[in-house]
Amino acid sequence: MAEDTFMGVRREKIDWCPTIDYSKCNFCMECDEFCPHDVFERRDDDPKLVVANPRNCVVFCRACSKTCGPDAISFPSKPETIVAIKKIREEEGEQ
Amino acid sequence: MKRAILPCNGLDKQHGVLARELALRLSESEGAEIICPVLLNNSPARYEKALADASLLVIDGCGTRCASKLASKLGLKVDDKVQVSEQAKNAGLETGGSLRPGPVGMQLVDIMEAGLIAEEKAAVSEDTAVGFESPTQFLTVTYDKFIFKIPTEGYLFNENDCWVRVIGDRARVGVSDFVQQNMTDITFFEPAQVGKEIEQFDEVGSLESGKSMMDALSPVSGRIAAVNTQLVDSPGLVNDDPYGSGWIAEIDIRDFDSDRELLLDAAAYSKTVEKKAAEALH
Repeated sequence: MAEDTFMGVRREKIDWCPTIDYSKCNFCMECDEFCPHDVFERRDDDPKLVVANPRNCVVFCRACSKTCGPDAISFPSKPETIVAIKKIREEEGEQ
Repeated sequence: MKRAILPCNGLDKQHGVLARELALRLSESEGAEIICPVLLNNSPARYEKALADASLLVIDGCGTRCASKLASKLGLKVDDKVQVSEQAKNAGLETGGSLRPGPVGMQLVDIMEAGLIAEEKAAVSEDTAVGFESPTQFLTVTYDKFIFKIPTEGYLFNENDCWVRVIGDRARVGVSDFVQQNMTDITFFEPAQVGKEIEQFDEVGSLESGKSMMDALSPVSGRIAAVNTQLVDSPGLVNDDPYGSGWIAEIDIRDFDSDRELLLDAAAYSKTVEKKAAEALH
């Protein structure tokens, strides 16, 4: 189960999850083996690995990308994500 | 102490080839002993003496981290680690696909060698602040047979289970009691680079146990002023004293007022721990 909020902001409002570059991915599944939050899912059809549960991804964690031999995993910018979270908190605080 | 080097054997990948080049370079410049991963895997006893008398540097070529995994499988104590693909990314160098090292690859080897030498110097010259004593006042969260301590005096937390304590312009950061209990025995610590400018939530060191690996994410932005080099030899200090001698890094803070907006006090963090404990331990 993932956290349903991060700093009081609903998780689905925060754009933070890995993106797989399929031109680099060799489907070694190291990232899926590493991630304890079931963010990835293996498929029988192509592509054999997908980001199936992006909202399970721990906000600001990018540890799975370190396990990636071909460097096929990327994440959004942290500073931009911080600004976005603060903006949502501000807007929701005003309501 | 003399270095022993366990490099990636990746002769089929460019970054693996550069791992080998870096090992050769350090062997030539420092007289470090190179450990062949294939022979080590087949006959660990062959290197028993070399490993007992030296500090062990593991050089991984890529994120598959075969050399690290071999060290972990054999229960070796790793003192330092380098990953070529990460270093290439940090330096913005594209080393190409050739299995013979080219000029850009060798430039990366130069950078990595200089970094390792500077790291050794930084380990003795870093400027650690005073006044960060271990806390004495705690809130506790109890879940099943687990009791998680959360210090109340001047400690703030991010939702990624890292704490910060600020004195003047200097912050000390670490991971919470919840992290150390959840990871169980921490066996490896990789410090961040002293002098590096970081944003809030950037990686400030990483921890590994038999159970998992975790990047500590900094609760504050600023410049890394010191790292806890004691943890390199004794990563278990994080288990023994996560809020005191198990600290991870000190940071000269840049914009604490802004960082603070995304931090929790002990009472608020205890609610986070309650939720996480229920998910992690049920």
